[in-house]
Amino acid sequence: MFEDVFNVLLIQTTIRTATPLILAGLGGLLTMQAGILNIGMEGMMLTGAFFAVIGSYYTGSALMGVLSAVAASCVIALIFSLFVITLKSDEFIIGIAINILAAGLTVFLLRSMFGVKGAFSSPQIAPLPTLSFPLIDKIRVLDGIFNNHSIFIYISWILVILVYILLYHTSLGMWIRAAGEFPEAIETAGVSANRMKHISSLLCGVFTGFAGAHLSLGYLTLFTENMSAGRGFIALAAVIFGSANPVKAFGAAMLFGFADALGIRLQGVGIPSQFTLMIPYVITVIALWVVAKRAIKRGKAA
Amino acid sequence: MLLQGWKGMKAVLNSLLNKMLESRFSRIYLLIFSIFLALLLGAVIILINGENPFFAYGALLKGAFGAKYKFASTLAKMVPLTLASLATAAAFRAGIFNIGVEGQLYLGAFAAAWVGFTYTSLPWFILIPLCFIAGAVAGGAYAFIPGLLKVRYKVDEVITTIMLNSVAILFTDYLVNYPFAAAKGKMGATDMIAEAAQLDRFVQFSKFNSSIFYMIGIAILMYYLMQKTSVGYNWKMVGENPQFARYGGVNAGKQMLVAMIVSGMIAGVAGGAEVLGVHYRFLQRLSPGYGFDGITVALIVQNNPLGAVFMSFFFAVLKTGGVAMEQATKIPYELISVIQAIIILFIAAERGFHYYLVRRKGGLRANV
Repeated sequence: MFEDVFNVLLIQTTIRTATPLILAGLGGLLTMQAGILNIGMEGMMLTGAFFAVIGSYYTGSALMGVLSAVAASCVIALIFSLFVITLKSDEFIIGIAINILAAGLTVFLLRSMFGVKGAFSSPQIAPLPTLSFPLIDKIRVLDGIFNNHSIFIYISWILVILVYILLYHTSLGMWIRAAGEFPEAIETAGVSANRMKHISSLLCGVFTGFAGAHLSLGYLTLFTENMSAGRGFIALAAVIFGSANPVKAFGAAMLFGFADALGIRLQGVGIPSQFTLMIPYVITVIALWVVAKRAIKRGKAA
Repeated sequence: MLLQGWKGMKAVLNSLLNKMLESRFSRIYLLIFSIFLALLLGAVIILINGENPFFAYGALLKGAFGAKYKFASTLAKMVPLTLASLATAAAFRAGIFNIGVEGQLYLGAFAAAWVGFTYTSLPWFILIPLCFIAGAVAGGAYAFIPGLLKVRYKVDEVITTIMLNSVAILFTDYLVNYPFAAAKGKMGATDMIAEAAQLDRFVQFSKFNSSIFYMIGIAILMYYLMQKTSVGYNWKMVGENPQFARYGGVNAGKQMLVAMIVSGMIAGVAGGAEVLGVHYRFLQRLSPGYGFDGITVALIVQNNPLGAVFMSFFFAVLKTGGVAMEQATKIPYELISVIQAIIILFIAAERGFHYYLVRRKGGLRANV
């Protein structure tokens, strides 16, 4: 029974389920570095997933799907940053409003544009390509783990490295981090902290657009109501767990993806699905608790 | 001459705007303005979808008020909305973002149902309060978990409560399908509660029942608690400025935790009302998102308990009427959610609008 659960398939599923968390997490950590907690990522991801399907359905091209997902997500991100940064509203309230707006809007459009309830799928929707590398497929274990994944899985790994370089080795990254930690410093240097926050929010839109596109076009080409299913929040938890560091957040996302995958695998061995579905949520709460205890200890030691 | 007329109108509008902004009721004016704007945007969306907004909104009003049973349905919907929003407002007031009302509602509902179908021999005047108490205890206890995590360990309560919502819903899902599944008949539901526990219905063809009295009772209680007692005042202080509250000798953490537990308790009662008054058993999809609507209402009325009652009624109208609107015009019911979100955005931007408008006027209070 052990082999039924803990096998190569588990690692493969972990990688698959972690990817939207990694992508959204990258967006979340950029805004967090700029000093904003973006609770609205769930809504942004949902919007991205919906518009990815729209773009791909009407043009038959997955690339257009991704672009429309990013565009839609960025519009939502602009609404968020307009209200939170320019109009100085509470980021929690606006984030929650964004989630409500996205949930209502996507279902509204689902029904008014396609006349369906619950889910929309069609052979006309072009899926994202899956990649397979010629050298790796010779080795069975590596083939199982690293091959035949949807393209965004590989892109997300590259993006983790790129975001790391951006944050810690470019001036833009430095300004974004300063906007969050010590805005007065860059203001005196002539850089607008607000503009940096807007930029980070926009980048978050791009990344959550990617995450949404991966959700709806990556494997099955369909959109279901409430497709994001809390992943936006789990991604945020991964960012907090990883202290807004790209590499650590990647690790946290993998951990949560593992919890999710474990739940999926455990379903196959007879444990009631309700409990296996609970696993990622419970793990998230425990992880946040561990982070908080760690921070308190560090505070006491300092 | 047209130009002068236009200038004159602008001057009148300006002074009206000024009066509204400075008046004591500026918040209510802002609310009405936001609702009006949101409904206007809704009308635009309806137009884009090829329907007549007047006809659509007319169908909505007819659906909510058109007949005795329809009005009763609207009132019936108001009960869980009001309770959920009161629950949320209590926590939000004290600065703790309890997004977990939905989950606390589910657990409270199940607890109430369990008492209802287990202690079938008790008379109604003992059984009904017992059910509600069970619901309140379950909801309050469940809210205690994220509350403690926040107060003791500073764990962000937004994420924990959202996660725990799913856990609660899944857990009760399990309970209802495995150990407590109905002995016969219905799938995904428990046995029916004892007749003694079932609340009286008032109007035929609607689910309107005596739970409205409990709702009114709790609304009055919360009004007094939040507006007229020192506990409520403490919550407000802790919510707005925890540092300042501490200087005043108030234990911010304790107040937050108490508010959180009270919040969970009311959510549990809301769940109990659904079981005792509407379904007479615990069901799998018991709540169509009352917890989240409660959050919407609390955000719009900025945690004012009286406002919560009125806004819940407004939402009940929108929801009951929205179904009728969809039947009459093919405009999806979800337009209501979009309108709700727009209202929140405008209300939340109040401070920003104030700031922006005042600055534009060459502000007396330029440093808001």
